Amino acid sequence: MTRSENKKLPRRRVLKAAATSAGVAIFAPTIIPSSALGRDGATAPSERVVVGGIGIGRRGTYDLGCFLEQSDVQFAAVCDIKETARLNVKKIVDEKYGNQNCDMYLDFRDILDRKDIDAVLIATGPNWHCLGAVNAARAGKDIYCEKPCTKNIVQSIALADIMKRTARIFQAGTQRRNLPHFAFACYLARSGKLGKLTKVYAHPRGMQAMSSGWLPAEPEPDKSKIDWDRYLGPAAWRPFNTKHLDGFNFEKGGGLVGGGVLEWGSHCVDLCQWAVNDCPPPIEYNALENEELVATYDDGCQLIFREKGWIPLGSCPVRFEGEKGWVEAGDSGKMVLSSPELLAGRTVEEIGGYPATFHVRDFLDCVKTRSQPKGNAEAAARAHIACHAANIALFLNRKVKLDLKNYEFIGDDEANRLRSEATREPWRI
Amino acid sequence: MRYFHPFLAMMLSASLIVGLSSIGFCQDSPISKISSESELIAILKSDAPGGDKALACKRLAVYGSEVAAPELGKLLTDEKLASWARIALEAIPGKASDEALRSAAGSLKGRLLVGVINSLGIRRDQEAVTMLIGELKSSDVEVASAAAVALGSIGGETASTELAKAIDSSTDVVRSAVAEGCILSAEQFMSQSNSKRATELYDLVRKAALPTQRIVEATRGAILARGDDGIPLLLEQLRSSEKPLFDVGLWSARELPGKKVVTALLDELKQADPEKAALIVQALADRKGTLDLPTIIQVAASGPRDVRIAAMSAISRVGDASCVEPLLKFALEKDADLLLPAKQALKEIQDEEARTEILKRLPTATGDLQQLLIEVVGLRRIEATDELVKALESPSAPIRKAALESLGSTLPQKDLAILIKQAVSPKNADDTAIARLALKTAAVRMPDREACATVVAEAMKNAPTETKVMLLEVLGSVTGAKALEALNAAGRDADPQLKDIATKILGDWLTIDAAPVLIDLASNGPADKYQVRAMRGYIRMARQFVISDKDRVAMCTKALEIAKQPAERKLTTEIFARYPSMGMLKLAIETTKDPELKSEATKAAQTIATKLGDKDKKQAIEMMSKAGITIPK
Repeated sequence: MTRSENKKLPRRRVLKAAATSAGVAIFAPTIIPSSALGRDGATAPSERVVVGGIGIGRRGTYDLGCFLEQSDVQFAAVCDIKETARLNVKKIVDEKYGNQNCDMYLDFRDILDRKDIDAVLIATGPNWHCLGAVNAARAGKDIYCEKPCTKNIVQSIALADIMKRTARIFQAGTQRRNLPHFAFACYLARSGKLGKLTKVYAHPRGMQAMSSGWLPAEPEPDKSKIDWDRYLGPAAWRPFNTKHLDGFNFEKGGGLVGGGVLEWGSHCVDLCQWAVNDCPPPIEYNALENEELVATYDDGCQLIFREKGWIPLGSCPVRFEGEKGWVEAGDSGKMVLSSPELLAGRTVEEIGGYPATFHVRDFLDCVKTRSQPKGNAEAAARAHIACHAANIALFLNRKVKLDLKNYEFIGDDEANRLRSEATREPWRI
Repeated sequence: MRYFHPFLAMMLSASLIVGLSSIGFCQDSPISKISSESELIAILKSDAPGGDKALACKRLAVYGSEVAAPELGKLLTDEKLASWARIALEAIPGKASDEALRSAAGSLKGRLLVGVINSLGIRRDQEAVTMLIGELKSSDVEVASAAAVALGSIGGETASTELAKAIDSSTDVVRSAVAEGCILSAEQFMSQSNSKRATELYDLVRKAALPTQRIVEATRGAILARGDDGIPLLLEQLRSSEKPLFDVGLWSARELPGKKVVTALLDELKQADPEKAALIVQALADRKGTLDLPTIIQVAASGPRDVRIAAMSAISRVGDASCVEPLLKFALEKDADLLLPAKQALKEIQDEEARTEILKRLPTATGDLQQLLIEVVGLRRIEATDELVKALESPSAPIRKAALESLGSTLPQKDLAILIKQAVSPKNADDTAIARLALKTAAVRMPDREACATVVAEAMKNAPTETKVMLLEVLGSVTGAKALEALNAAGRDADPQLKDIATKILGDWLTIDAAPVLIDLASNGPADKYQVRAMRGYIRMARQFVISDKDRVAMCTKALEIAKQPAERKLTTEIFARYPSMGMLKLAIETTKDPELKSEATKAAQTIATKLGDKDKKQAIEMMSKAGITIPK
């Protein structure tokens, strides 16, 4: 147990130590972000964004690297239910800053209680994403949250509502929105360069309902090594089993209706949503047919979830088809277009693909300007709702129709019951 | 280990039991196929294991009715199954679920009670209001807090009145939750167009002793609920010295609808300090519905530099063709700090009409404006070949430079000869380097690289050596079959300069199609250092490129056959162990027959043998034994 852990346990109550209005930070005279103004320069302490990490495993460590690359970030603390993860992050951060200052916590609420922390990076398993994000928002933190961000439709709506209510900046970990070639492909679709859009394609990589369920009980580890109760968090109780510790297979989509659609759909469907200008999600979702699930927007454009038929452009490919042309892009950083004229004199190579740090930069700039980042909560919610609705059509194996006014299914009691799921006590969204 | 209860085995058909998962329940569990409510209730009533009952609850969430509610309600006292039961009870429509939850609440405490209260809040059970009001006074702060939020979710006059009374609760945590309840309740009043009551609640929270974040939320609500009358409160936040309040001012400046707020924000800009004004400008630019572009342009035109830069940054996101003229002016102010954001905005404005605005100014522009317009043409990739070619005649070196660079970025394939001519025989010798760079930039952009290479190769005919060298470098960037053909010919030319550049370029080639050219040059080309260079380029490809094992073995075999220098032959044997395969092992064993390479080849064979998979190991050992090579342990 480290010094910080000794000092911080038992945890304080949420917001108990949060400042009252008399104790808040004084407005800094140099609040203006140089990056937002298109200039580079040294970072004044008042411009620094102090970040804490919640659930920093494999993916989180990659995100952490992107944050540490930014000169205006001060990474201050980590919380994880796994001791190995806490120690790993502390080592990385302390090596970066040449000190021993990265604090470690068992309970995420201890990070949220800290007045000096402006923003949090949430990279837990998907089970915790939404709950972590809304709690962070209620504690006054801005949030960079890995995807999938929600477990069901109602959570998606709540996430967007709570970010508005709390006036917090939220960036979903949909980093492809800030990768130039994907952004260019979406721009072609949005700007009418492809003509009226007729079809947008997403590759969800695995269209089946999944559930990790209730596995045989194994001896529960000591809480200081793995805190099982905290790991379960909002998920219904079940006995400890190490297989559950793979966060990528933990009842996504509310248990029986999760699966691949959401895991990759939160990226590729999100890009399709951007291509259609982040309009509300499709209103009709067909059952799976010929390995394709066809959803239809209210203007007739189709969102097609498909597994096969892609030009080999790497993982997470998308394709946008209009009446005048089409474009396809994937994780290789490459695009293929119906006509070279769409490139308007550019080359695919010069448009470029990575790095993913652009997405973190976008978030940090918005933390300073209070503008909305590209993966904002509203956009993320719409993309997630499309994925959840598709999952429900898959689970019920029939067409479902969504009313965009309240995101309820029309005349479909069974589908509506799958819109949400109770969280385990004492947690609430 | 058993995860399927005998009770279920009796109920379900044998076909469902086949394929039962041995790792507990999942989508393959037989229970996940049951849609019959009575069968699912029977599982709950039985002594089935917890996992079976849990899954039955999830199925009842979709297929259950009010009939299931009493049996589900019994599980609410079970610490392990209560959350599963609530999954069903929250989902099943009708009063029976509410009753089951309310009934359980009377006997529960602690976390289990919190869970039930949360579910009642989500179901917005009006009949639970009295019980929840009572729980507001619970000594368990988790229970009291959950009750406060649930009351807020249910909303209505009774709930909101009681919440308002509790805003001065003694416990910080409960007070914060009560504030959240008030805000939730206020949102419901807003959705019912009762902004008066909503405002009262927001103001109540705003003025209470609460954590800053609750104050922030209430302030946002209070501004929005007041509509135009909320503008003074918004401005108060923008003038605050407290960052969270200033931030919520910026947030509300984007959210509050109407035009009056725009006017107020513009007035505020005049008195705000530059740091704040720069952020307010950006908030104004984010107001898509009520965007006042002329005013943003006005802000960009004068005043503190940081505010002007922020305005230009905003214009780059939201500007249209009307911004072209002012941006050109800003860029020409001879202020380096303004030039970059102005140019960036000219590049980024998405309005297609901006192109027309830029092009129409080009024919008559002179001096700095002409140079700037030419640069913008290049940045925006506007095809303006005639004007750019005319600019090449300018006496001004910066204008000619800008024109050449923009031609590099915009020239269409059919006009490539224009840049070839400039690169081969520029009118001004000083333009040579930039013209050649522009040609390369243009050449790699061309959609049909074979046609492009054909035009470039054609220009080499009868050209002096120095020109040919330059064009060969361009071809090296273009790549493709035609470029390879030209470089192959140059590699065999009598002129040593051409042989030199061609073999250098081929040696660094990035695609495997150059391999046949390189090996041919290495074996049949001029017998001098260029042959060595070609061979080394060939070996590099065999060592580095992603190709099949079969092709790599073939390339190594060929290299050993053709290479004359011992160093190259040894270099080839280094590839063996990097790509272990049976084919490579055979080649390594064969190479041990060469006394000069025996040592390297033997080591390589031994390394390969250790890396091969189990299925090949036996054959590998036999082959090595036969060749008399020691088998590594």
